[in-house]
Amino acid sequence: MRVTETWYLTLSALLFTVGFVGLLVRRNPLVMFMSLELMLNAVNISFVAFANKLDDIAGQTAVFFVLVVAAAEVVVGLSIVVAVMRRRPSITADDLRSLKG
Amino acid sequence: MIPVALLAAESAAPAPFALLPSLIAVPVLTAVFIALLPANRGDFAKAAALVGSTITGAISLFVLAVFEKGDPGFQLVSQHSWVSSLGLSWILGVDGISLFLVVLTGILFPIAIVTTEAHHEPKPYYLWLMLLMAGSMGAFLALDLLLFFLFFEVVLVPMYFLIGGWGHGERVKAAMKFFLYTMAASALMLVGIVSLAVLVGRETGVPTFDVRVLAENSDVLSHTAALLIFLSFATAFAVKVPLFPLHTWLPDAHTEAPTAGSVILAGVMLKLGTYGFIRFGLYLLPEIAHELAWIFLTLGVVGIVYGAAVATMQKDLKRLVAYSSIAHLGFIVLGVFAMNAQGLTGAVLQMVNHGVSTGALFILVGWVYERRHTREIALLGGLQGVAPIMAAVFTVVMLSSIGLPGLNGFVGEFLILLGAFSSARWWAVVGVSGVILAALYLLWAYQRVFHGPVSGDNEKMSDLKLSEMFGIAPLIALIIAMGVYPKPILDRIEPSVDALVAHIGQRVDGFSEQEPEPVAPAGVDELIATAEASGHGGEAEAQEAEEGAE
Amino acid sequence: MIALVAQDTQTVALPGPPVVWSLLWPFLILAVGGVLLVTVTSVVPVLRGRSFPAAFTCLTALASGLSLIPVWQRVDRLDLVGGTIGSGTEGPRSLVSGAYAVDGFTVFVTGVICVSVFLTALLLDGYLRREGLDGPEWYVLMLMSASGGVLLASANDLIVSFLGLEILSIAAYVMAALHLRRAESQEAGFKYFVLGALASAFFLYGIALVYGATGSTTLQGIFAAGPNAAGLDPRTDSSLILAGMALLLVGFAFKVSAVPFHFWAPDVYQGAPSPVVAFMASGVKVAGFAGLARIFLYAFQPYWADWRPAIAALAVLSTIVGGLLALAQRNVKRMLAYSSINHAGFMLLAIHAAASPDDGGQRGAEALLFYLLAYTVMVTGTFGVATIVGGRGDGRHDLDDYRGLSRSNPLLAGVMAILLFSQAGVPFTSGFFAKFRVIGALASDGSYALGGAAMLAAVISAVLYLRIVVSMFLIDNGEAHEADHEAVDAVAGGRAAPEAEGDTLVEASPEASVLTSVRAPAPTALLAVCLAAAVTLVLGLLPDLGGGILSDAASALLLAG
Repeated sequence: MRVTETWYLTLSALLFTVGFVGLLVRRNPLVMFMSLELMLNAVNISFVAFANKLDDIAGQTAVFFVLVVAAAEVVVGLSIVVAVMRRRPSITADDLRSLKG
Repeated sequence: MIPVALLAAESAAPAPFALLPSLIAVPVLTAVFIALLPANRGDFAKAAALVGSTITGAISLFVLAVFEKGDPGFQLVSQHSWVSSLGLSWILGVDGISLFLVVLTGILFPIAIVTTEAHHEPKPYYLWLMLLMAGSMGAFLALDLLLFFLFFEVVLVPMYFLIGGWGHGERVKAAMKFFLYTMAASALMLVGIVSLAVLVGRETGVPTFDVRVLAENSDVLSHTAALLIFLSFATAFAVKVPLFPLHTWLPDAHTEAPTAGSVILAGVMLKLGTYGFIRFGLYLLPEIAHELAWIFLTLGVVGIVYGAAVATMQKDLKRLVAYSSIAHLGFIVLGVFAMNAQGLTGAVLQMVNHGVSTGALFILVGWVYERRHTREIALLGGLQGVAPIMAAVFTVVMLSSIGLPGLNGFVGEFLILLGAFSSARWWAVVGVSGVILAALYLLWAYQRVFHGPVSGDNEKMSDLKLSEMFGIAPLIALIIAMGVYPKPILDRIEPSVDALVAHIGQRVDGFSEQEPEPVAPAGVDELIATAEASGHGGEAEAQEAEEGAE
Repeated sequence: MIALVAQDTQTVALPGPPVVWSLLWPFLILAVGGVLLVTVTSVVPVLRGRSFPAAFTCLTALASGLSLIPVWQRVDRLDLVGGTIGSGTEGPRSLVSGAYAVDGFTVFVTGVICVSVFLTALLLDGYLRREGLDGPEWYVLMLMSASGGVLLASANDLIVSFLGLEILSIAAYVMAALHLRRAESQEAGFKYFVLGALASAFFLYGIALVYGATGSTTLQGIFAAGPNAAGLDPRTDSSLILAGMALLLVGFAFKVSAVPFHFWAPDVYQGAPSPVVAFMASGVKVAGFAGLARIFLYAFQPYWADWRPAIAALAVLSTIVGGLLALAQRNVKRMLAYSSINHAGFMLLAIHAAASPDDGGQRGAEALLFYLLAYTVMVTGTFGVATIVGGRGDGRHDLDDYRGLSRSNPLLAGVMAILLFSQAGVPFTSGFFAKFRVIGALASDGSYALGGAAMLAAVISAVLYLRIVVSMFLIDNGEAHEADHEAVDAVAGGRAAPEAEGDTLVEASPEASVLTSVRAPAPTALLAVCLAAAVTLVLGLLPDLGGGILSDAASALLLAG
């Protein structure tokens, strides 16, 4: 069986969905955070698959930018999570509700 | 269609100086001056407001003096481009229809300022009053549809603060209701204005909001478009008037507002609605106005009867006057949508009359409240004994409001009914009942408040002070003068009204056939003769009433 | 693509793309200014004092704004008489290998972002002093975020858009969470981060699908692959590009807080430090709208009939829901969050009109630009007042905390009233002409129903502005008034006593510090809000904006490429 781009794209879409669902249902800030990373990297698979299909280098270049951005997001996101958790160690996202109206 | 606009501008008499803009500028500058006063000098604020409004009033009288009475067109036009990218221009002008509303505004403001006091924080109070004056003047003078809308909307802000800051009882709620009701109604008007300008501009090639250009070219609109645009305008004006089902903001706003606020609200701001119907309904979109006239005639008549009936039942004197306004404005709408010369002339005249007499009524009710701290009719009684002068003044004003021959109210109502009879007979028949009802509720209220034995706290009530008498004297003089000799006023209103009726006749098929005698100058002369003849009798009656009161 | 000039001494130097530096200055000044500020203040600790970073940031914003003038002159001529920048192979107005485009539109948006930075820096100065917070980080992050915003607005390639969006957002996440003593601030930062990152992921997936459908990430390439080009590009997969557009739109809708992607905004606006909210609501949002307009009105222009209904739906929902949900609120910052959702709806309507193929297009683009400017000034000023009233601890944002503001500080109350009435769209303020232009554009386009719905929604949202005005002006003096006219003086005298105490016992109680904060606000903050109110009034009287700037910038947006 030949593995075509469609397979990669489907995998990418599945991983993206897994990440999205994870973000919605999980309440641990760190797991939510991992889900976000999963979504970004799922997109990377798409980029590479499309680049391969189109025989174009731009898609693969994009992946590098995404990786850099994702790293920056990790830095910021983790520090915010740490700042929140240091205040209340066993926190879940449901506990973050002092802001509501 | 630029040439049309230019032509109109050239044909108008050149203003000696920026006469009309100064009617807006003087109050604005006064407001700026008041804003710069030190906070603790409230007395200065009142003096400044009085001077500013009096100067404006004097300018408005000067406008009246230089107004060419035979000229039906717009006079003293001041035209400048303002926001050219949007097609918005600064166009001001007066004709017979707006002239007396401008003068009314110019007269009522100084009187409202002199006859009432700000109970606290005078500085912002007079600042808002001055801005209100500028806005009202602007709305009556604007010949650019968008400019009109700007003024029409902006007057809400000072009025909102006046009601909310210096009113009584549930004033904040009343102010909110007033602001939101009016704003909601005019929200769609903005869409209508823009659509009108865009659609007409597409045909003529030049986007403009100049009402003269729009009125000449509005026949390019499709029927649906014109209908929707008219409805968007009509909603805004109907709330402002207010017409029957949309009137609920008015009693609250009037009752809770401070006296000066009520005077201006009734005297000037309600006229923005009826004036809007004439200038931006009948003039801009005559076909639709004619087609839908029956709706507005009906609502007007319902307003007359409803306002009168509800007024009769009021326990609060100020609320009674507020509901009587609904009835009176119903009369004016009846005259406007009679769409003939008599009806329209009567409507314009009645706008001024209502401003004068209802303004005076609110001032008097305000004085009663100041002295007695209540407006409950049941708690008042026998005031004639302790305050005979007030009772006399009240009598004259009340009789004018009822429409007694010889006083100003009569001429307007008579002309309106005359006009309505020729084009909308059955509505007129119902409308007449309003005159009778007005007599009923006002006389009954007068009886309960001023007649009978002096009860309880009323004994200590003081009569009018000299300053108060001077304050209200101009209004009494106007009530009598306009009732006895309305000809100079009618002479200035009629040419413009005739031109408007001709404009409608030109645009609406079968318009003139519907009316056997559309414009009959002889009829009007006769009418004036009648009015004058009966005027003398009426004056005598009024004097008798005064004497009786004393 | 930003091509990095990688030089290898051993091999042949990689040829870098030609760069027209003079056109990059506005962007570079913001970015380099941020880097410089963090470097200088780290090396010379004396400069970590609060005045230097604020002054430096204001000057940077000013310099970036001034550097726009020569750029404007150059690109305006380009827009008028044609011609190209550089080699012109990637589009006449693009530079750096087609990664970055400069035209009237980007110049205008950059100017608006500079205004936002300038005003926010003035607000931050007083805020940091009051809160006893230290550090130039706030300013550095803001400059970084602003440079990201400029990048997003100027991007000529979706990957660059993504970079700009991330630079813009990541710095903003940190700013939202930067008030370390307030748990609300961190909570807001966390929520902002999670939902912002989610939006970025959607955005990125959208880029991937569009790339897959058209084979290009440059706006030019996507446009050329569209059905309006010489023939349908055989590689264009229409379902793929529709999905890509939808995902991009969702990403942007999150960023500009359009309903139904708005739910983060009230929480974040309530919790984040008030001056930061001023920047998030102005600068960040403006950049988001600029990116949205640029990408959809240019790259996706061939598909306008497909995406326009979606924009219209988002717009109408935002105007109505923004107005309605505000009714239930009592926290002023939350109310203003909903008001900004309502404004977002209006700006989306402007984009809707700008997509019109007839003369509504130009008017819609003009409306969008004017709205962005007017909105930025209004909203920065409004949150500026909220910053001042918030008091030490930044916690006093209930409607009741605004009671009697007209007495304790009439100037502040007056400024707030002007800004609020402008947001409500009262004539003779910039807010009126902003709404008017949108309605005018919709009418030119024939979308009367949308215009009517938007105006009615504007009335609903007017309630929230009036409620704040009522608190400031009407409630306090009213209770005194209602009791008895004579008693007014006595009550006022009674109230004056604790206020006088507040001056001496500044640190004693939160009450006292609030009164000080309101009665003697930081001069820079007061300057910022007064400037905002003044500009609001000036734009309300002279909405032409000095002749053709708006129309030139708007036509650049529509003809971009």
